[in-house]
Amino acid sequence: MRRDPDPAGLLRGRIAIAALISAVGFSVVAARLVDVMVFGAAPLRTAAVVASHARRADLLDRNGTLIARDLPVSDLYAMPAAFTDAARAAHQLAAVTGADEQRLKTAFQPRKGYILVQRGLSPDERETVMKLGLPGLDFISGYKRVYPGGRILSHAIGQVDTDDNGVSGLELGLEDRLRSQSAPLTLSLDTRVQYVLEHEAGEAMRAFHAKATGGIVMNVRTGEIWALASLPDYEPNLHRLQPGDSTRNRMTQDVYELGSIFKIFAFTEAVQENTIRLDEPFSVVSPYRLGHYLIHDFERLGPVLAAEMVFAKSSNIGTAQIELRSGPQKQKPFLRKLGLLQPLKTELPEMASPLYPRHWETVEAATIAYGHGISVNPLNFAAAAAAVVNGGTLVRPTFLRHPEEQHGERVISEQTSRTMRQLLRLVVTAGTGTKADVPGYDVGGKTGTAEKAEHGSYAHHLLISSFCGVFPIDDPQFLVFLMLDEPHGNRESGGFATGGETAAPAVGRIIARIAPLLGVQTKVAANP
Amino acid sequence: MIRILSFTLVLVTGVVCLGVYRIAEEARITAAELRETRAAIVQENQSLAVLGAEWARVTQPARIQALAERYLNLNDRPAAELASVSQLPPKFLPQPEDAIRNANAVVPPPGQRPLPGVAHGALPGQAAAPVQTPLHTGT
Repeated sequence: MRRDPDPAGLLRGRIAIAALISAVGFSVVAARLVDVMVFGAAPLRTAAVVASHARRADLLDRNGTLIARDLPVSDLYAMPAAFTDAARAAHQLAAVTGADEQRLKTAFQPRKGYILVQRGLSPDERETVMKLGLPGLDFISGYKRVYPGGRILSHAIGQVDTDDNGVSGLELGLEDRLRSQSAPLTLSLDTRVQYVLEHEAGEAMRAFHAKATGGIVMNVRTGEIWALASLPDYEPNLHRLQPGDSTRNRMTQDVYELGSIFKIFAFTEAVQENTIRLDEPFSVVSPYRLGHYLIHDFERLGPVLAAEMVFAKSSNIGTAQIELRSGPQKQKPFLRKLGLLQPLKTELPEMASPLYPRHWETVEAATIAYGHGISVNPLNFAAAAAAVVNGGTLVRPTFLRHPEEQHGERVISEQTSRTMRQLLRLVVTAGTGTKADVPGYDVGGKTGTAEKAEHGSYAHHLLISSFCGVFPIDDPQFLVFLMLDEPHGNRESGGFATGGETAAPAVGRIIARIAPLLGVQTKVAANP
Repeated sequence: MIRILSFTLVLVTGVVCLGVYRIAEEARITAAELRETRAAIVQENQSLAVLGAEWARVTQPARIQALAERYLNLNDRPAAELASVSQLPPKFLPQPEDAIRNANAVVPPPGQRPLPGVAHGALPGQAAAPVQTPLHTGT
């Protein structure tokens, strides 16, 4: 027999269920409130910090001046089927975006899908396109790398491709760092010094109708590259070359026989090995016979020159004799120790390896002493020259800001470095580099004039003229190197195209302009 | 009693529902404002980035040089004529008050040139100070 349920008990049961449901509901609400108010508070506070979505970090020069930055841009696509008058739309879009009107007219066929109108529109250009009121347009947002300086620093900084991947220069060499960090990357380069270097190098190139030119400004103690120029250059914002442009960085990608400027290392070796006295006389009667070969000087320098004047007047004959006292057995390890026989390692990926003879005998030792028979890139040369003048320690050139002095491997003694500084100063006061002197600064340096190899022999009319200046010579801080490829003499140079007549005056002007920027103080004469 | 409790619970539930709805609505509005603010911040950051790039472009040394040559009547000075303040000789040396009170001036007789290296107006009881070598700014 079925028993009727107790109505009161049933009601209590229902109330209990309702109360339980309510309690659970309130508990969920309470828990959510606690979650939002207590645990969810921190993320809300930080939500206002909106991260930049740029794909590559900014590049700054050593003073904080912007060199490269990703800016928001849009790629514009159009659906031709949506246009009522495709020709008119093509005309309007071409006028606003700079796209080729004929290409658009050809591409705007009703049956075609989306057509790329123009890449990299700025926000202003995008706004102008929107105001046209055309249907069927679509924007895809992205970023474009811009270089506010344009051509300046183009070779050192390099470029990115249309997908913002580094393809050359520091953009490629620092790819991982630029991708992984959001903070700007500060380089050792100085835009002001770079401008002066490029300006003077360009003026010299035009004055002497040279094929190309290039220069380096380097701190000889920290290894920082303050400026690196290579002309002709290119406009990195365009992604295409204009007539006469070149993407070739001649300071690192090319190797040259640098000529007499290499005598720095022959004399450094001789002073270090103590094989000469600076006042020791050497016969410089031309030509000097070495086996089947004849060595000449650029001009007749007299029957006898003291060793120091062999350097100052840049005698090939005297230098060959001095080098042969050490011989190839000592010369090759010495140049290797200076880093001249190995490819240089810097942040720049484009770095040519030195070229030198496989069989390094007496004749090769003599020619290498005056810079023929060995080819290095100019940055490699500058790094070795810095070690000669900075007290004798190797420095690794760097494009990243690194104001601390490097204490690399000691390659020569401090005394040898001091003697070489005296010799470099002698070149400027009484030798071939007098046109590089700058009143107020004690400039030291060495000229170089190398004949280029053509069809298996040296061409007398095709020269590589260069000058390597160091200042202030009693406590060197900066090295300025300038090279002209195939310069031609003019009236100002007396028709000569040598390093002393072409590159040296340009280096003098560069030093006069950049020394105040670099904080190098003038020498105030004690007794006027 | 149970009726009052039930009524109260229903009432409270209704109030809570209204409260939750209001909070939800405020949260939705706040979230929308937050989205807008975030978008505005992104927009401002992008504007700043563009302006920074534009500033870097207009302050390029080549442009400044061209403008300076066009509008400023400035000449290039030799580097030897440039000096920092730290290189300048002191304008005067601080002296004790008594020495300043008793200072006099020694005027050389007419036609007699001052001795080199001897300062005029030497203070009583003090050796004449050597003449400060002027800053040589020529070449």
